[in-house]
Amino acid sequence: MPHLPRSEWYDLTRDMNWDLTYVTEDEAFPPALSNSFGVPAEDWWTWDEPYKIAYTEYVHNQSGKDAGLFSVNNVLSRTSIFDNLDPGWKAAILAHYGAIAVAEYQASIGESRMARFGRAAAWRNMATYGTLDEMRHGQLQTYFPYQALAKEPRLDWAHKAYHTNEWGIIAARHVFDDMFTANDAVSTAIQLTFTFETGFTNLQFLGMAADAMKVGDFDFGALISSIQTDEARHAQQGEPTIKVLMKAGKTDVAQNLLDKMFWRAWKLFSLLTGLSMDYYTPIEHRTHSFKEFMEEFINKQFIDQFRDFGLEKPWYWDQLLNEMNWVHHAYHIGVYFWRPTVWWNPVAGTGPEERAWLEEKYPGWNDSFGKYWDVMGDNVRAGHPELTLPETFPMVCNSCQVPVCTPAGYAAGYLDSPLPLQLMHGGRRYVFCSEPCKWVFEQTPEQFAGHLSIIDRLLGGIIQPPSIEGALAYMGLSPEECGVDGDDYAWALAPARLTV
Amino acid sequence: MAMFPVQGFLEGDFVVVLALVDDTDPMTVVAEKIAYHSAGKRVAVQDRPMKVKREGEILPDDSTLSGIGAMPLDVLEVVYA
Repeated sequence: MPHLPRSEWYDLTRDMNWDLTYVTEDEAFPPALSNSFGVPAEDWWTWDEPYKIAYTEYVHNQSGKDAGLFSVNNVLSRTSIFDNLDPGWKAAILAHYGAIAVAEYQASIGESRMARFGRAAAWRNMATYGTLDEMRHGQLQTYFPYQALAKEPRLDWAHKAYHTNEWGIIAARHVFDDMFTANDAVSTAIQLTFTFETGFTNLQFLGMAADAMKVGDFDFGALISSIQTDEARHAQQGEPTIKVLMKAGKTDVAQNLLDKMFWRAWKLFSLLTGLSMDYYTPIEHRTHSFKEFMEEFINKQFIDQFRDFGLEKPWYWDQLLNEMNWVHHAYHIGVYFWRPTVWWNPVAGTGPEERAWLEEKYPGWNDSFGKYWDVMGDNVRAGHPELTLPETFPMVCNSCQVPVCTPAGYAAGYLDSPLPLQLMHGGRRYVFCSEPCKWVFEQTPEQFAGHLSIIDRLLGGIIQPPSIEGALAYMGLSPEECGVDGDDYAWALAPARLTV
Repeated sequence: MAMFPVQGFLEGDFVVVLALVDDTDPMTVVAEKIAYHSAGKRVAVQDRPMKVKREGEILPDDSTLSGIGAMPLDVLEVVYA
């Protein structure tokens, strides 16, 4: 059987577009599942993917990746590498698995929606690979932690987390449902593959892969490096989708989709990756601060791509740059103080050496954020660690679902007011942590108004009893699963205190 | 007398918390109940009287939330005098 070069048959076999006669376009592509934003069907047929691959090649490549990866896992899972990992790194990977593994399965729902409702055959073809990719990522990131369950039972949160109402998962589910699980195909291509995968997962996966290798977690490093090779391919569905919209004069549509999801992705990543990079990764293995990673990978490289397409920086750009200085430091204090509400053991990461590093990377950190750790450290040293634990709940934002930390931004000199933003809508009060979060809500209030934050559920009587204990049970956290100080307060008991 | 949830924070703290007060509590007590979650825990204790601020105005010490017509989840800022 003759073997033709791919280039001689690819376009012919790929372009299975045709005019609909038995059904209307809206019946074949319902707007809720595939919003064309008014672009005619034939215009979508110009959609052309930059990375071409045939199914046989895909299977061959993926098979090779898995063979290598499972070999690494098979060997390393029998070693004591996991046992000897730094407690901070363990916190980082437990948080990662819980927040990401099942979300990957959900991403396969978004990809499969594009595989059916993408508006060009070429796109549907590429999304089919994307569906298989995301299934692979879900399987890998539940299997790898499963292998280590005997060493850390809470690694079962890789599977369990998304089946709970743990507050961080409510936040992740809220953004991921918006981004891909319940999004239409065209918006998914812009918001998942371009905004999130091209921009932010680079930060999480490439950054964490590099850090994993440095801390000696070769298993995790190999895992997420392999995943990123898939992401780099299927993330390219965004580019041709933007081009079609732009050519049809729908620049405002692309810009709006991007602006909304760029902010939402930022809020999630500042919580997940910000803590991992600046507090959980052992200091001797850090090469960049979270802010430096953001500046290099997002603010520079990704923004260059915006501009290449003729898009602009989001309107809230100055607020993003502002938050990069302080918001994840505030989130870290919150996660540490409310540590029983997470499934990993947060390390403080604020011993004398770490504080010097933070001060160097974020000038003024000791004055603005070190002061909170001073008080908590004093309580630990005085034999009252219970004073570093919560007796109430933080208010959370009705958009990003993350605690409202506006007082921290104000106290650190980055905000003009410590007050949260508020909105009365339909007789209900909504609370927001930032102007862009409020703006996201106001873009489609009918989409978000019915959602109840964890605090709304507490005040609405859904969480019973309405106490810390009741909330932990509601969040699926048994006493054995609740987070505790990851290094048994070593940060506060270190012999030398930093003087500034 | 009724339990009254408010959004509150002590000056200098990092986060807005859910605080449960009573609608007949005088503001001196409201301030203590909000500050309880922060003072000596994340914010250094100050030996100064505390005041409650709402919508930019310092509330009289003997006023109550029911008396001023406050709504549940109003934002109350506790500041040192």
